[in-house]
Amino acid sequence: MTRVVALRAAILVASLAAWEIGARAANPLLYVPPSAVVPALGRLLTLDSYPDLPASLLLTLREIVIAYALAIAAGLGVGAALGLNRLAGRVYGPIVAALYAVPAVVWYPSLMLFFGLDAASKIAFGFLLGFFPITLAVLAGIRQVSPHLIAVARAFGARPTAVFVKVMMPAMLFTLVGGLRTGLALAVIGVIVGEILGSKAGMGTLINHAYGLFRTSDYVALVCVTLVLIVGSDAVASLVERRARRWTD
Amino acid sequence: MSDLIAVDRVGKRYQTSSGPVEALRDVSLPVGAGEFCTLIGPSGCGKSTLLGMIGGLVVPDDGRVLVDGRPVTGPDPTRVATVFQDPGLFPWRTTLENVEFGLELQGVTRERRRAVATELLGPLGLRDFGAKYPRELSGGMRQRVAIGRALAIDTPIVLMDEPFGALDEQTRLLMGEWLLDIWRRTRKTVVFVTHSLHEALALSTRVVVMTARPGRIKSVLDLPMPYPRAMESSEMVALRATLWSGIRDESLRAMGER
Amino acid sequence: MDRLTRTGVAALQAASVLVLLGVWEAVARAGWVDPLFVPAPSAVAGAFARMGHGALAALGDTLVKTAIAYALSVVLGVGFGIALGSVRVLREVASPFVIALYGMPKILVLPWIMLLLGFGTAPAILYGTIHGFFPILVLVAGGVRDVDRTLVSVGRAFGAGTWQLYWKVILPAIVPTVLAGMRLGIVFCLLGVLIVEMFAGVRGMGHVLNSLANGFQAAELFAATALVSAASIAIVLGLDALNERLSHWRS
Repeated sequence: MTRVVALRAAILVASLAAWEIGARAANPLLYVPPSAVVPALGRLLTLDSYPDLPASLLLTLREIVIAYALAIAAGLGVGAALGLNRLAGRVYGPIVAALYAVPAVVWYPSLMLFFGLDAASKIAFGFLLGFFPITLAVLAGIRQVSPHLIAVARAFGARPTAVFVKVMMPAMLFTLVGGLRTGLALAVIGVIVGEILGSKAGMGTLINHAYGLFRTSDYVALVCVTLVLIVGSDAVASLVERRARRWTD
Repeated sequence: MSDLIAVDRVGKRYQTSSGPVEALRDVSLPVGAGEFCTLIGPSGCGKSTLLGMIGGLVVPDDGRVLVDGRPVTGPDPTRVATVFQDPGLFPWRTTLENVEFGLELQGVTRERRRAVATELLGPLGLRDFGAKYPRELSGGMRQRVAIGRALAIDTPIVLMDEPFGALDEQTRLLMGEWLLDIWRRTRKTVVFVTHSLHEALALSTRVVVMTARPGRIKSVLDLPMPYPRAMESSEMVALRATLWSGIRDESLRAMGER
Repeated sequence: MDRLTRTGVAALQAASVLVLLGVWEAVARAGWVDPLFVPAPSAVAGAFARMGHGALAALGDTLVKTAIAYALSVVLGVGFGIALGSVRVLREVASPFVIALYGMPKILVLPWIMLLLGFGTAPAILYGTIHGFFPILVLVAGGVRDVDRTLVSVGRAFGAGTWQLYWKVILPAIVPTVLAGMRLGIVFCLLGVLIVEMFAGVRGMGHVLNSLANGFQAAELFAATALVSAASIAIVLGLDALNERLSHWRS
């Protein structure tokens, strides 16, 4: 065990210990020591405390998948349109970038007004969050394709479609995959934020429910499960990114 | 035998930030089949533009270019292949995949493409490098892959725009010898652009000297000597002096312009 | 096409926005959309006028909280960022923790923060600070770590002590990174404050937006949303301009 790993382990253990002792001393109900989380997790996973757990998890997952799929479709489309048409890119590119500077959560009440409290508003919000990084990545990706490679392809007789498929797409794959990964992370956050800020079903609803009833240890357990979902999706994305990186570097 | 390439009184003008520039003026050049024709001249004399016109990548403002009796309207990979100074290999493709590129665009089947490319590796001196990526190859190797890509589509004409310009001198000399060997075996028509007097004299059957901007043809030197050439022979030394005196004035004029 | 000047581009953008507004107005007036959900631009403008004072007060409230959170996250983020970037052991040990905390959606701890701090200004400021702190930390740490080694060697060669090295070489060198972090941080801080206000707030733009949505006051909601968006864009553009002025030696 190297020194660094040992130090990390020490910090982790010390933090958990401090948390345990401090929480018990101050207010175990409010501060939820780690020893309370474990049984809460147990109750959660046996569907004791929240029998709705699988259904909620599934719903949240569904919302994420749909939001992300829509974000990819729109992001690729708009990104390609702005990237391939120089005029459109110069005029509308900055507008997209400016909208990105607005904290996305300001759109959420409008989405709730329009779509109600159901899954639709969460999907819309997740889509909105995931859309921007993908679009900007496609735009950046197209811009950094070497013009010389395009000239070479044309010299060998490639038509515009062949140029796009055989030269541009492989050349920008790396940038694109980075954008897709960020887009997924943001779509996930969008769906979860949406659920917590107001929803009728899904993981966020369960979290709100626990919080409202002061069931703090259940709340922590639910957060852990949600974290697993989030980390899991990012891990999958990271694997895909690594494979793409190996292929295109 | 009619000329394979007929450049007929072409002219080209460009708009630059400092005003209009005339790259070529009234240039006519016939190139016969099987020739190794070198274009040489000072920087900015339009030799790359001229090559671009033959390759269909540049449209002449005046005059026209005929290849095989037909006017050039765009890149024609059935007749003309181009090699650039920057090899322009696709970094995500292996050597074999890069060589196959032109064949792929023409819809040749995978087995056939692979067979042609693999066969070319031998003469290219890249037999063990078929599965390597461009980043794993040296500059000289990359340029050989680019030349292989051009050879794979088996066109009667191959254009080369300072293909060895980015290489060090020793590599250049070796690449020149290698290119000569390939050319003599494949009997293609080559139009070659270079700055190097040595390359012009060692490789060509004909050297065309161009003037400084606006580019016109200053003189043409026929080199009927056999290959390989003894560059130290008195004949070659004299030719080199002749060639240099023709180019030197133009180079000075080009520099004075700047 | 390359001859399109910056004014030309701006003109096209303005024209596009006007066309969009025009079509929207026409569609709304023709009754093709339910005015309950999609108000006409003219209605939104009217709502603006009516809300005016109250909305600006709420915006001010939000911005004050954001400013405090921002100041805190900049000071803490830059401070810890420099520490992490300079001391290799610290960086290596802390790295996985920082990445984990950075990547975790902070909203998951928001209910807990509310339980601890109740309603009011404190949770908004704390949450905003947390939101802005991490991106700044990561950026600055990376910036310090990546300072051109040559510059540091030159400094040392001229006899600079550690304090001088920081003051005269490293700090000026990381100014662009710090500015980039600050630009990122403001959006995150504002985002954090708004989220708290929406989640369980009694004051501020987030709360206003939420109430308007619950009350189905579409025109007022759109107006308020436009107001916050405009404020955010203005702040970011302002920071960008500042960034450019201060980084003129880089071009």
